[in-house]
Amino acid sequence: MRKIWTILLLHLKEFFKSPGVLVLMFVMPALFSWIFGGMTMNSDQNKPVVNVVLSDSPVSKEMFNLLKQDHHFDWKQQSRNQAEKNVSAQDAVAAVVLPDDIGQRITETKPLFDIIVQRKNEDYLALSTHLEGTAGLVLRSYQATSKLEADALPKVLDAITNNKGIMVEKQIIQKDSNNSVETNLMFVGFAIMFMMFGLSGAASTILEERIGGTWGRLMVSPASKLQVSLGYLLAYFFMGWIQFAVLMVTMNLLFETTWGSLVYFIPFASLVILSVVGFGLMIAGLVKTKQQASAVSAVLIVSTCMLGGVYWPIEVVPDLMQKIALAVPQSWAMAGFKEIISGSLHSATLMRDTLALFGFSALFFFIGLRGMKFE
Amino acid sequence: MNMLTVQDLRKIFGKFEAVKGVSFAVEKGESYGLLGPNGAGKSTTINMITGLFPPTSGEIHIKDIDVVKNQKQAQKWIGVVPQEIALYQSMSARENLKFWGRMYDLSGSALEKSVDQVLEIIGLSERAKDKVETFSGGMKRRVNIGAAILHKPELLIMDEPTVGIDPQSRNHILETVKRLNNEGMTIIYTSHYMEEVEYLCERIGIVDHGELIASGTLSELRETIGDHSKIILAMDKERFNPEQITESLTTFFSDKDFQIQDQQVMVFHKEPQLILTDFIQSVTKTGAKITSVDIVEPNLESVFLHLTGRNLRD
Ligand SMILES: Nc1ncnc2c1ncn2[C@@H]1O[C@H](COP(=O)(O)OP(=O)(O)OP(=O)(O)O)[C@@H](O)[C@H]1O
Ligand SMILES: [Mg+2]
Repeated sequence: MRKIWTILLLHLKEFFKSPGVLVLMFVMPALFSWIFGGMTMNSDQNKPVVNVVLSDSPVSKEMFNLLKQDHHFDWKQQSRNQAEKNVSAQDAVAAVVLPDDIGQRITETKPLFDIIVQRKNEDYLALSTHLEGTAGLVLRSYQATSKLEADALPKVLDAITNNKGIMVEKQIIQKDSNNSVETNLMFVGFAIMFMMFGLSGAASTILEERIGGTWGRLMVSPASKLQVSLGYLLAYFFMGWIQFAVLMVTMNLLFETTWGSLVYFIPFASLVILSVVGFGLMIAGLVKTKQQASAVSAVLIVSTCMLGGVYWPIEVVPDLMQKIALAVPQSWAMAGFKEIISGSLHSATLMRDTLALFGFSALFFFIGLRGMKFE
Repeated sequence: MNMLTVQDLRKIFGKFEAVKGVSFAVEKGESYGLLGPNGAGKSTTINMITGLFPPTSGEIHIKDIDVVKNQKQAQKWIGVVPQEIALYQSMSARENLKFWGRMYDLSGSALEKSVDQVLEIIGLSERAKDKVETFSGGMKRRVNIGAAILHKPELLIMDEPTVGIDPQSRNHILETVKRLNNEGMTIIYTSHYMEEVEYLCERIGIVDHGELIASGTLSELRETIGDHSKIILAMDKERFNPEQITESLTTFFSDKDFQIQDQQVMVFHKEPQLILTDFIQSVTKTGAKITSVDIVEPNLESVFLHLTGRNLRD
């Protein structure tokens, strides 16, 4: 046990001493995720603008607050003139003019809100449902409070805003997390890709050790083959986990991402890391020099990551490509992570992904350990 | 008791037979040298003894343990100095020693003590914290040896531990090995430098083309060439007359005891001092002018030359 630990520590130390590895394992994925992540985050902030023209009535502020409950739009208060200009310049999807006197609108059987719109596009359709809903709410509240004191209506609307707020908020969290499942998956994908590079690089140092003689020296020491192999494998496994954990935590702090239930996430990530270790070992077992290893792994990693839906969601590629993707471990890893991060945790799917990854790991280790010459 | 017994050891790489049935034994406390030119099969033999790879056929016993079947047991007793420098270059000398010490079951204060001792022995206490990659070739060689003696092995197997280093480091290493041997450690030492083997080893095996062509103490090996020293007279070209010299020499020596080559005349004899004057006189009689006189003691070089017709190093 002590020997395994000694070998493990030595390699972790060596690994994290080399600046190239540090850049590859930490800086690059962080940079990639930051750039790509930043892009999607921005697009998230590009919400359609809706101008609101307030009136002098005390309820108008409350109605504005009520409207603002829909976070899919960027609600901006404007003067009527400016609002019209914005709409015609298409700087705003629409402008909503709030009424002075609700009672008057009702008696005149006019719609509660005046809407200024240039083109009735998708955004407008989404907006109009919300407007109708809000208008309905205001009208019903008006009727209910018409016999009460003058300031009853604003109070009721305020109460509704706060109540309804909970509902809308919920809906928005749901919506938001749907959006960031893709983003989070992308972070995980990049972490996997860079981990593959890092670990196959690390595993190929065995080749250098064989030439350098330290491998031979280990073989003629009383350390058994099992101890030596476990030492190396655990070292790679730890390297993978350290990288993965650092990235996940960083992303969490930077983008407030969530990884779903950790009870599922951690074991599944461990399995993914295990298969990446197997992958690195397999490459080291198949080639003769470190240079060959890095060339072969670069080609294999990039191509399988493309096929496996690491760079883009697998759903966007043609059916045939989706079929081919089944032969690539990353596709199973990504599918599993998607189940976990999105929180759907469909157990049959997770089971299937887990089994597939176990299969790939077993295959990789079989090939890798066979190639690991103990002479 | 024999520390090591090797019987009819063979190794075939593909179609190439690198070791062709080598047998020898090394006693406890002995220092045994394996001498042979490049590619003779020394490392291959050593690697089989240390259990790095199995022999194609043959038997190896360290004490009473069968190395082929039970290598991990035997490997506890032996220290191996590989021919190449097998160290982690980006780690310090101390870190390396500690790592290898742990691989040989040392730990805690015993490990610390042993590492300090070894650093002292290899004369690198001051540089212990420096990375191995910053060391000179000689210093790396010394760490390479240090890593093999941490656990005080009963049998130390060294494969050309002095290759490619300066004479000073080399002397230091040779003295260290000699001391270890005097303290009771059994040594197996391979080299293609005969001086090293002559200095260190009580018994020597000469290897060539995968075969052990001779084996014994230095004097036993000298006996194989009759233990004859060689007197070499070099002559001026001008009055050099090989026929006359031959005629003159035959009055004292038999044909096979002298040799004339270029402007040199050589005579072989067990006690060169006794015949030196006669030899010089019979040459000068012919009118030849002697420019230098050399007496060469029989050494392993001449043994090897005698056995193979080739020089040890080409
Ligand atoms: N793994 C191998 N595969 C094929 N041939 C090998 C292998 N190892 C050694 N040989 C061959 O076996 C022969 C003996 O090699 P070995 O390394 O034992 O020589 P050596 O006596 O140690 O030489 P040197 O003094 O140069 O170290 C050489 O001809 C070498 O080419
Ligand atoms: Mg050799």
